[in-house]
Amino acid sequence: MTLYVKQDSPIHEIDPITKVIYALVAALLPYILPSHTVALIVLVISIILLVVGKVFRKIIPLIGLSLFLIVSLVIIQGIFRPDNVTPLFHFGPIIFYKEGLSYGLLLMLRVINLLCAFGVLILTTKPDDLIQSFIQKGMSPRIGYVIGSVLQLIPQMSATIATIKDAQRSRGLETEGSLLVRIKAFLPLIGPVIMNSLISTRERSIALEVRGFNAKQKKTFLHEVHTYKYAKVIQAVLILIFIFAILWRIFL
Amino acid sequence: MKKIIVENLKYKYPDTDQLALNDVSFEVEEGEVIGIVGQNSAGKSSLCLALTGLIPHFFNGAYGGKVLIDGIEVKTSTITDLSQKAGLVFDNPFTQMTASKYTVYDEIAFGLENIGVSREEMIERVDWSLKMMGIENIKDKNPFDLSGGQMQRVAIASVIAMRPEILVLDEPTSQLDPQASEEVFRVIQQLSQEGITIVIAEHKMEKLACFTDRILLLYEGKQIDFDTPQKVFSRDDLHDYGVVPPIFTTYCKAMGMKNKNNNTYPVTLTEVSSLLGGENNE
Repeated sequence: MTLYVKQDSPIHEIDPITKVIYALVAALLPYILPSHTVALIVLVISIILLVVGKVFRKIIPLIGLSLFLIVSLVIIQGIFRPDNVTPLFHFGPIIFYKEGLSYGLLLMLRVINLLCAFGVLILTTKPDDLIQSFIQKGMSPRIGYVIGSVLQLIPQMSATIATIKDAQRSRGLETEGSLLVRIKAFLPLIGPVIMNSLISTRERSIALEVRGFNAKQKKTFLHEVHTYKYAKVIQAVLILIFIFAILWRIFL
Repeated sequence: MKKIIVENLKYKYPDTDQLALNDVSFEVEEGEVIGIVGQNSAGKSSLCLALTGLIPHFFNGAYGGKVLIDGIEVKTSTITDLSQKAGLVFDNPFTQMTASKYTVYDEIAFGLENIGVSREEMIERVDWSLKMMGIENIKDKNPFDLSGGQMQRVAIASVIAMRPEILVLDEPTSQLDPQASEEVFRVIQQLSQEGITIVIAEHKMEKLACFTDRILLLYEGKQIDFDTPQKVFSRDDLHDYGVVPPIFTTYCKAMGMKNKNNNTYPVTLTEVSSLLGGENNE
């Protein structure tokens, strides 16, 4: 359960922390400087990075998923925004205004930009590399473990739920039909699922304990830190842009 | 040298009235293979947990007596320190996978990362474990995509990568099919040949009879016997303790075929065959 796409590209070469900083700066810039031009420029940069990273096709379904939200934003803003004054066009009695559409467009750019900016990070970074970078930056290995294991345990858990559902149905439990039937089936299904998870959790924590999970020693890592030649330069430039944007917003 | 010394070990789980382990005392020499037998809830798993420090450090409860692992007292040590002395493998292969790693190779390295082993040594140890378990061909696979037998071998590999001198196995094959069990037993025997001291709780008596040096018989937390497989499985009261001897022993008992040298019944096919003057006779 990960969106990471294994590819050989210059974007995959970049270290995770730099990509995290990029994603944050790129996602925030259109909010700090609320103009269509800024949002568009950042979006174009993210899209270029996605194309260079050979993962652009993977972002399209993600944007598609949020399309409903995006389109409804534009329509509602276009019709109902309070400072709407200049009518642009109309469908029968429904009038679309210039100000609302313009603002809706900005919101739309921001949402797509957010998706693309984090897409650059998520689609081109191995989750365990990302977690390892955070642990090396001082995050607790326990939290790192929780984040890392959730990605693999959720599919495991849904497999268990499917097994329990089948087992209960083979004993005659009705799980399909009216709402009442489904509600009645809920308890006999959720009970074993919870018990099962508790037992697995206990066993897994024993397995972790005997493998030194609580060791006081400083952790080492099998994989070498993913270093990137220009990491420091890119990070510095991104942070400078960010500070500059804030100053721009305050003083101009 | 004595690898394991257990003296008058008593243990009670929290919120229970009965002792899970009641006055267990035994000693294990370096390189020995010890089998623990007994019916369900006889204390086999509790003893395995006590040898690896999970009792009393992970499970609280009332603890009495003393367990020394390679000279270290369990009660005053920590699970992490003990994990490098005595490794634990248990029955469920799925829950023994950490779920935070995406390849078998990384999975085996997990424990070594935690105890701060250097990269070079880590790679050397992981490669050694993979080779010992014969799973080099699956090192790049996701642990959850493996079969039960392969997963259990990965679990053993992850534990032996910590280089324990003692390996404790709690019914390692009870959730595996016969072929996978066979694979697991084979690698356990291989580890024994490497000089690792092995303690194994198991229900497959024929297997235990083949490769254990001594058998510890438990019943309701009490230690009934601790002797060679021949002597333990020849006991007349074995059924009272809910243990079924190897099929060969049952057969020989029914036929009255006793080994005259030590007055016990044979426990393996080889012994039966040699008793009958077969080709293995020496």
